[in-house]
Amino acid sequence: MTTSPLPDSQHQIRTIHLTVNGKNFPLEVGMAPHQIQPCHTLLQTIRETLGFTGTKEGCDEGACGACTVIMDGEPILSCMMLTIECDGKSITTIEGLQNPETGHLDPLQQSFIDHGAFQCGFCTPGIIMASKALIAEKSDIETKDIQEALSGHYCRCITHYQVVDAVVDVTKKVMRVSDDK
Amino acid sequence: MKPFKHFTVNSVDEAVLLLKTYEGRSKIIAGGTDLLGVLKSNILPDYPEAVVNIKNIKGLDKIESGTDGFLRIGPLVRLKDIICSPLIKEKCPLLATAAETVATNEIRNVATIGGNICQDIRCWYYRYPHAIGGRFDCLRKEKKGPCPAVKGDNRYNAIMGGKGCFAVCPSDIAVALSVLDGIITLRGPEGEREIGIRDFYTPLGTVMKSDEIVTEIRSLLPSQGARQSFHKFTLRKPIDFAVVSVASLVSMEGSMCQDAKIALGGVSHKPVRAQEAEQTMRGNVPEEALTAAAAEAALKGAKPLSKNAYKIEIAKTLIKKSLLL
Amino acid sequence: MTNNYRYIGKKIPRKDAKEIVTGKAAFFDDIKMPDMLIGKTLRSPYPHANIQSIDTRNAENLPGVKAVLTYKNIPPWTVGIPPHIPVLDRRLRYVGDAVALVAAETREIAEAAIELIEVEYEPLEAVYDLDEAIKPEAPQLYDFAPQNMVPDALPLGVEGFEDAPLHHIKIGNVEKGFQEADIICQGTCSYDGIPNPLPPEPPGIIVKWEGPEEAIVWSATQSPSWANILTSMFLNFTEIRSIATYCGGSYGSKNMLFNISLHAAALAKATNRPVKIYYTKAEHLNAFVLRPASRIHGKIGMKKDGTLTAIQGDWLMGYGANAPMGFMQLAVGCGEAQLALRCKNWDFKAKCVLTNRTPSGIVRGFGGQELKSSLMPILSIAMREADIDPLEFFKKNYVKDGDGYYWRDSKWHVCEGMDYRKAMEKGGEAFGWKEKWKGWLKPTTEKGTKKTGVGVSLHGNADVGEDRSEAYVRLMPSGEAVVQILVAEAGMGQRDSLCKMVAEVLQIPLEKVKMTPPDSLVNPVESGLVGSRGTYACGTAVIAAAQDARKQLLEKAAEKFNTAAENMDTADGMVFQKDKPEQAMPWFFITGPFQSFTGFGRFNTDFTKPNFMMIFTEVEVDVETGKIEILKVLAATDAGQIINPLALKGQIRGSLGSAGIDTAIMEESVIDPQNGHIMTSNMIDYKWRTFAELPEFDDVILESQFPTHQFKAIGLGEISTAPTPAAVLMAVSNAVGKQFFDYPLTPDKILRALGKIQGAESK
Repeated sequence: MTTSPLPDSQHQIRTIHLTVNGKNFPLEVGMAPHQIQPCHTLLQTIRETLGFTGTKEGCDEGACGACTVIMDGEPILSCMMLTIECDGKSITTIEGLQNPETGHLDPLQQSFIDHGAFQCGFCTPGIIMASKALIAEKSDIETKDIQEALSGHYCRCITHYQVVDAVVDVTKKVMRVSDDK
Repeated sequence: MKPFKHFTVNSVDEAVLLLKTYEGRSKIIAGGTDLLGVLKSNILPDYPEAVVNIKNIKGLDKIESGTDGFLRIGPLVRLKDIICSPLIKEKCPLLATAAETVATNEIRNVATIGGNICQDIRCWYYRYPHAIGGRFDCLRKEKKGPCPAVKGDNRYNAIMGGKGCFAVCPSDIAVALSVLDGIITLRGPEGEREIGIRDFYTPLGTVMKSDEIVTEIRSLLPSQGARQSFHKFTLRKPIDFAVVSVASLVSMEGSMCQDAKIALGGVSHKPVRAQEAEQTMRGNVPEEALTAAAAEAALKGAKPLSKNAYKIEIAKTLIKKSLLL
Repeated sequence: MTNNYRYIGKKIPRKDAKEIVTGKAAFFDDIKMPDMLIGKTLRSPYPHANIQSIDTRNAENLPGVKAVLTYKNIPPWTVGIPPHIPVLDRRLRYVGDAVALVAAETREIAEAAIELIEVEYEPLEAVYDLDEAIKPEAPQLYDFAPQNMVPDALPLGVEGFEDAPLHHIKIGNVEKGFQEADIICQGTCSYDGIPNPLPPEPPGIIVKWEGPEEAIVWSATQSPSWANILTSMFLNFTEIRSIATYCGGSYGSKNMLFNISLHAAALAKATNRPVKIYYTKAEHLNAFVLRPASRIHGKIGMKKDGTLTAIQGDWLMGYGANAPMGFMQLAVGCGEAQLALRCKNWDFKAKCVLTNRTPSGIVRGFGGQELKSSLMPILSIAMREADIDPLEFFKKNYVKDGDGYYWRDSKWHVCEGMDYRKAMEKGGEAFGWKEKWKGWLKPTTEKGTKKTGVGVSLHGNADVGEDRSEAYVRLMPSGEAVVQILVAEAGMGQRDSLCKMVAEVLQIPLEKVKMTPPDSLVNPVESGLVGSRGTYACGTAVIAAAQDARKQLLEKAAEKFNTAAENMDTADGMVFQKDKPEQAMPWFFITGPFQSFTGFGRFNTDFTKPNFMMIFTEVEVDVETGKIEILKVLAATDAGQIINPLALKGQIRGSLGSAGIDTAIMEESVIDPQNGHIMTSNMIDYKWRTFAELPEFDDVILESQFPTHQFKAIGLGEISTAPTPAAVLMAVSNAVGKQFFDYPLTPDKILRALGKIQGAESK
């Protein structure tokens, strides 16, 4: 075990600030249950430290998409992200899609309900977040765009067809709204 | 994952200093999509004591082209940014095509070009999780012993150039760079050095030292009319690492091939330039018979293992596909 | 025939849809419990070994570790029928087998403790191949299983299991049958890639002891009763309360939680605290339920017109290192063989074989997928010689009303009321079978390096009516109906479908129907959601319970209205006379504030209603690369009556998942026979279909109104995967022009069959 070189303390982060679903969470680095360790993934922090259990751990190795959250507008795999490197980031999880005041569902969530685009529901939060990010980023979305955006999402019950229909439905509505504007 | 110390640096010098101080017991983290997987599966005999985060270093995320005919890409440029870069789409679409085939959307949002080039191999013996009965030892992990893939299930392993280790280079970007005369700039405690992309890889690992960091990736800007292609064969689309891939850069003069650069991926520990195939193409019209001959020439030196001879046929198919008008 | 239903057959969102899409549905890992410890397992590096010495002191001394268990200090519980799997054993039988168990305050401490356990092993010779394993000279895994074959299960003498389960179909005289045949063929076919059903959510168990012989078990499972009844049996009949969480997919596999339950139970007993074991994905891939490996050596006698005269065969089902419930799948597979192939002469023996690799268990298709995948290619030889269209063959030979068969209980049953020929015809029409079928081993189209081919196969299961279900329906003063049945939610949407059935019987708003949580303490007995039985068996029980409660309500209401009960009706929580609906009164006035009407319903085993699914598929083979693309899939079936169209659509498309169709082309657990390791130990190396590549998928669902229960429906979900591998293999064989006899058909196998790879593959 080496002795700490001089640059140590100035390069080690002590506190980070995460914004999750619009709320600011200051997090200290440390060993206590309410603190985060450098080896903690964002997924661990979201689920265990902050209690947002809607985001799921499927494989914990970046290969199934169940842990997808939106970070600064982009969908990322929270199991492959160290919390300590997320200082200042704004994160949206599945819990953040509903209107916090009225409780109204995001149109995407409603579309998933209407199309029965889930079976066991385990992969659903990750898929909804990735779809949400796609709709926000791209206009003129085609079916193949949805399929490509979701290609990292593991669904074993096979909801793929209904999911694509549900997302297409929302993109059509979004296009109609923007046409109307 | 097991714990480690975490440092966030603001300059290349700070990074190099930390890496040097830890004497091989530290790892660089950029996007993290390879490193965290390696750490979680606990496949390395020595777990790093420290992880050095280089994402805050300014200036390493640029894509620029100069009058010298080179494209310069910072190591922190994300694969997503390569795909979306108007400059790359216009001048060097082959690179964007290669980047687009990597993994999935979410991974490309954080994975960097530097990380893609430096990522660890995917051999499933090498990657076997320690928690399920213990990791595999092999030459890459600095232990003795024959490569377990040789007598084992080597369907995804190398068909040429294997020596001691028969893993293939997993980087799609490296294959693309191989027809673009790609050069990697490394900086360490002793200063900077430049390595050609194919010399970056040896059968037992990259030449990058534990106290070095990639500071730039440079590639030739192809001429306007050159035909660029990147084809990747996988069992699934995309997600998978290449079973076999082929990058090509062909410049034509009329109906004749003036020059051809062909690189194979998924066949060796490094991207392989198919020089005999390139020779076959030069000065000839790319018709079916010619491309078939080029494909044969490219795979002439293949020495498949017990279960990966199928790669030869697939490689030939991809070569023909990329060369045929 | 259209029924005027309010809920049945209507596209109504699932009752718990909002919980799912908002992330509020609590899955296994979402449960937190104070005082809970985390359990981890040290796993064997050898496929076959004895533990020579084991030193756990360093692990025990690590701060935060509360218990370390080895074979020396475990409770004397054993899993299996017959019992053969202790909690921990000195003998290890697969890479990944449990060597020791640790319970600690956190996951990280438990993992660190595992690394501190020191073990010396005595490696033993291992065996992997099914035919090799049953040779007398093969290494023996257990004393109780000579030549590595589990002895045929004995009659249990209990209700439902009076006779020994079916394992040998012996009907008529096969020798005579072969004499009558125009065509006799033989072959061997293996479906032994041991793919992994791989639900997205790994398996897990929490056990908490409430007393010396009383425990609570939390699990994500499709059948909570398997914990409080079967696990209880293996735990010396400990009183178990079984609570199911939302289950992130199971496909049969999470009914096999016995071993993990005993591990958690042993740690919980040793520490006197609740213990949670939740597998990592690597453990899920390498140390949890795989599909059985299957190989059939078969001989078929057939007349030119497709009449089967004799079926003789040995069916080896490989279960890996242990087989707690192996006999069940063999029994059902044998039954299902007879459903698909009407034949007067059978001599077909099934054997449960053990080898040194991760154990198999029950997986969707339940032996039937393994059997169909192994038997159909052999049948194809005969069909080809007879030059008979396989669709015509299946139409001729699938069980129909009046046909008899031995089912898994070894008893003779006669099919009642089902005839699926119309579904087959309609399916064929919708698929364009007649135009696409060009004959055996002939491609449908050829264009450049791409050849297409078509294939068809089928499956059916009489287990739709297996075992018992019980339910209560309580009509409450508030106008609500509470359904009490022990049913979990693992993706089938059955909790919702059953509520819809009750809402339909009672004609009340769906929001007024509630179901008790899947907790064995507050529900009667239920065999579980297996074998598509939910719709028929659970449905019958809740419908009967709702009808019973309704009857009681109306009898009481009749008194108040001073009329006969037959004159009364109820809808929307009101009671009224049929001819005076305007004079209605809410339930409350009949019940009063402190009374409810509780109806009881029970379903008794009925093995006479086999279900059916036919899969047509079209594939494209690239003859230069060996790559196969599945272009189109069409599922043809008859649901009797669709209860829940969205859920049914999902279950049918499930044929692409749960280690279904892609086991024909890419899904497999790759074992290195040098060392017994499963090399596909992460979710990139284990191949599964992505969103990016979806075949065209259509379905033809008839609704012939079967004689099952009030809504004339039959279940289908379990059988959707089983026909798929054989259908794809037929299609690929036709495209390539060569009959294949093993799976998966990866590029190297195709290229080898096309003569493009020189030299024999070295093993």
